Amino acid sequence: MKQIYLTVFFLVLSIATASAGGPWPQKKGHGYFKLSEWWTIFDQHYTDSGQIDPNVTSGVFNTSFYAEYGITNRFTTIVNVPLLSRNLINNLRSETTNEIIVAGDAINTIGDIDVGLKYGITKRGATIPIAVSLILGIPTGTENGGSQQNLNTGDGEFNQILRIDAGRGFNLGSYSAYLSAYTAINNRSNNYSEEFRYGIEFGLGTFNKKLWTSTKINVVESFKNGATAETITSTSLFANNTEYSSITLEANYYLTKHIGISASIAGAFRGEIIAAAPSYSLGVFYDMK
Amino acid sequence: MKNPNLILISFLALLMTACIKDDFVDDKVDPLLRIISAIDTIEINTTYQFESKYLNNVGNEEDVDVIWSSSDPSIIEISANGLAFAKTEGQAIISVSLGNDTSSLMDSAEVNVGDNTIKIKQFSMGTIRTTSSYKLEGDFELKEQENGLNLSFADNYSASTALPGLFVYFSNNKNSIANAFEIGSVEVFNGAHSYELVGVGFSDYKYIVYFCKPFNVKVGDGEL
Repeated sequence: MKQIYLTVFFLVLSIATASAGGPWPQKKGHGYFKLSEWWTIFDQHYTDSGQIDPNVTSGVFNTSFYAEYGITNRFTTIVNVPLLSRNLINNLRSETTNEIIVAGDAINTIGDIDVGLKYGITKRGATIPIAVSLILGIPTGTENGGSQQNLNTGDGEFNQILRIDAGRGFNLGSYSAYLSAYTAINNRSNNYSEEFRYGIEFGLGTFNKKLWTSTKINVVESFKNGATAETITSTSLFANNTEYSSITLEANYYLTKHIGISASIAGAFRGEIIAAAPSYSLGVFYDMK
Repeated sequence: MKNPNLILISFLALLMTACIKDDFVDDKVDPLLRIISAIDTIEINTTYQFESKYLNNVGNEEDVDVIWSSSDPSIIEISANGLAFAKTEGQAIISVSLGNDTSSLMDSAEVNVGDNTIKIKQFSMGTIRTTSSYKLEGDFELKEQENGLNLSFADNYSASTALPGLFVYFSNNKNSIANAFEIGSVEVFNGAHSYELVGVGFSDYKYIVYFCKPFNVKVGDGEL
């Protein structure tokens, strides 16, 4: 239950700020570290009316290092670094002549880094633990890269997420389980709309708590108070007001007491201006407990 | 961990998916031959050079051998290369057809012979419509001017502001912007507005098309 889960979702033009979930801060001196590969490849997207339209196939691949460390029993530091972020778009060829109409392109850079701090409001062992987090998104990735300026490994904006988590661990028959929920506000700069986020997560530990499986529902609602292509004049490549509801299935398996592997699949079942395809993640973690 | 080969194979498979591949667009269209000279009347005892344009099966212009003919050579005589001579007052139909095969591709125009040469000031109107889930609608007019074209949209024009990089083009292929004329990025999303265009002829293109340029997403079109 102490694992912090990371969700990174592709938002057509940007990588969403990573978010650390769950109301359980690390104990002092304990930590959780993960090296993972996250990717999505999509040839369709949700439009502004929520319908699905085709697009030239694009892909995003992130190799990320994620860490959290307990400074005290209540304060946990969090960092997520996409060490290598690759964004590509396919060639567009004529079916009739086989000639390239628009050449594909790719960029490989570091992605947007997130740093954060989680504070446990309730004491360790509380019936319903509650924690607040502040996560800062730093635009270290590349915005408008590639020859067509259509490739991104970051959104080019500083953002601040203030988040509150609450949850409860319990036994489900002979298994350990937990249920948690969160709500958050994402304050964004650079003319992007602010976001309201919320979600719920259910996790189940089996095989003597070696295998933890979880199901998460995440929702992002845009305040739609930022710029649009109509109101912004500095660039013509501006997408905003992204929204989605997604489901994530994740499994974490402890190979040893400290080391394990993780895998997840996620996808939006409702969205606006967002890829309509599943994303996948594979990783190796070290649980320093 | 126990099977490093499996991990290596998985990693290599993932690397393969991270390569740039090909997407294909169905861009086949019917070839077209058209007379692009807009002439109403040729002055008697003068010549006029007719021109035609052939668009191939993807809408690209191609040089081809054509055959010119006149329905009444006693009124207008026309040479193999399209040079017409106005002989007597009256009316004739000038036709052009492909010279290298027996296809039915042809175009024709009614031309008068009179006291003065009169060129036709070309004008067309139509409606743009969305071909996607993004809003795009409105009426337009295309007018030939002294130094180019004027493309104007009516009050009922409306386009989605959600797309990044929405561009408008003239194209001879509704599904492709290959060899299209880029009018520019869309900066007006509601209401009447116009574009003054130079370097493009009235008969050069068949369609107005709207594309989200950075992501190659077609949004809508209209026939000129």
